[in-house]
Amino acid sequence: MADAVTLGVLERWVRDSAARLDAEAERLTALDSAIGDADHGTNMHRGFTAIVGKLDAAPPQTLAEFFKTVGMTLVSKVGGASGSLYGTLFLDMGKNAPEGTSMSAAEWSRVLAAGVAGVVGRGHAEPGDKTMIDAFTPAVAALDDAVAHGASLADAAAAAATAAEQGSAATEPLVARKGRASYLGERSAGHLDPGSVSTALLLRAFADAVAEERG
Amino acid sequence: MIGFVIVSHSATLANAAVDLAMQMIHGEPPPVRIASGADSGFGTDAAAIADAIDALAGEADGVVVVTDLGSAVLSSELAIDLRSSTVPVRISEGPFVEGITAGLVRAATGGDLDDVVAEVDTALAAKRRNVPDADPGADTDTDTDTDPGAGEADGDREVRVPVGSDESHGAEDANGKEPAVSARATLRNPMGLHSRPAALVVKAVGAFDADVTVANATTGAGPASAASMVALLALGATEGDVLVIRAMGADAADAVETVRQLVIDGFGEAEPRA
Repeated sequence: MADAVTLGVLERWVRDSAARLDAEAERLTALDSAIGDADHGTNMHRGFTAIVGKLDAAPPQTLAEFFKTVGMTLVSKVGGASGSLYGTLFLDMGKNAPEGTSMSAAEWSRVLAAGVAGVVGRGHAEPGDKTMIDAFTPAVAALDDAVAHGASLADAAAAAATAAEQGSAATEPLVARKGRASYLGERSAGHLDPGSVSTALLLRAFADAVAEERG
Repeated sequence: MIGFVIVSHSATLANAAVDLAMQMIHGEPPPVRIASGADSGFGTDAAAIADAIDALAGEADGVVVVTDLGSAVLSSELAIDLRSSTVPVRISEGPFVEGITAGLVRAATGGDLDDVVAEVDTALAAKRRNVPDADPGADTDTDTDTDPGAGEADGDREVRVPVGSDESHGAEDANGKEPAVSARATLRNPMGLHSRPAALVVKAVGAFDADVTVANATTGAGPASAASMVALLALGATEGDVLVIRAMGADAADAVETVRQLVIDGFGEAEPRA
């Protein structure tokens, strides 16, 4: 179990995410076919597969370099709103990451919050709009709360992942107010938001990477 | 000149829209770059948009970004953060096909960034004006339009005013402060003031030091800025309508006469006058 967010943890995180997105691509795309353009699973999988290729070719040497590499790859490879939004998440995390190759749980909490703030600024979504923000917002709150109460990095990351999963599940009855799903109006209710599902997947993968990485 | 970055989920769509708009350009076209698709599929790529903006930075005084569906705006906003050049960039909220067309025409006549963005932003106005009132119970004999700004020009031909002769004369401006020059001319070409003639008017007035407006005296629509193709199209002027061309400025008389001549020549589209 890692007690700091190291480059090793981060690399394990995105590699595991790529594998999970491979396994889940069909389900994500099925969710997206209900209320979107049926490409979220394949797009996210393509993006994270490309990131793995970048990490293999040139492993980042600093936290900032890691986040920038991930962000720019998502921007170029994912396409659509999720590429710009997840790209913004990682780019803004990179701008707010501490120097060096490792950060504490408290620094991770602050960095993730800064990335999510960037996503909100880019997409102008609020909680309840049936977007990835419905997963990110409770996750950031749970992470901050856990860290403030002295939780270990592993426990804090797990709490964030659980909050994201609950937030994603709660998008099902909502009517979409952002993105292409909003064209469906009332018909978007009754389906999970695919972006919130991928957010929960990523944050669970992070928690598992922290639990599994030695350090 | 102002340049354009066209952001589309589809390269085919973007290329066709630009080709269509270029039909309206008579002379040097504005610089245009297309940023379309993501990873060789449908989508938008902020990095590619940033590259397109940077590629224009050397030759354009400003860049207008015209986008298609929703996430194209998101990607364009991110691209403005990612780019390396400092050329002024604005993202337009205007419609894709109409906006590209109206914007290119305005830019080709030397509009600045504000002018061109305004033109693209408002490019739906002409179509709005031309689509009949959707109210199924509308009575064509009475004006049931509840929008006070749109009632007069919705194709109601009962409001014709007496048709004057085609002549020009000097006149005081309505507020009596600046001398204005005006002329009346009747549209002769069968399709009226559609996009090609409107583009010709925009180009013609761009050569003069004058603020030129055109109003449709037959329907009461306008006055519209003659520097704006969209505004001219919004006049909904068809064959037989009488236009009032009005100008102020150093070249007002020449500008009015040039536009009047275009109208009475039918923009080269009418049968020769008997």
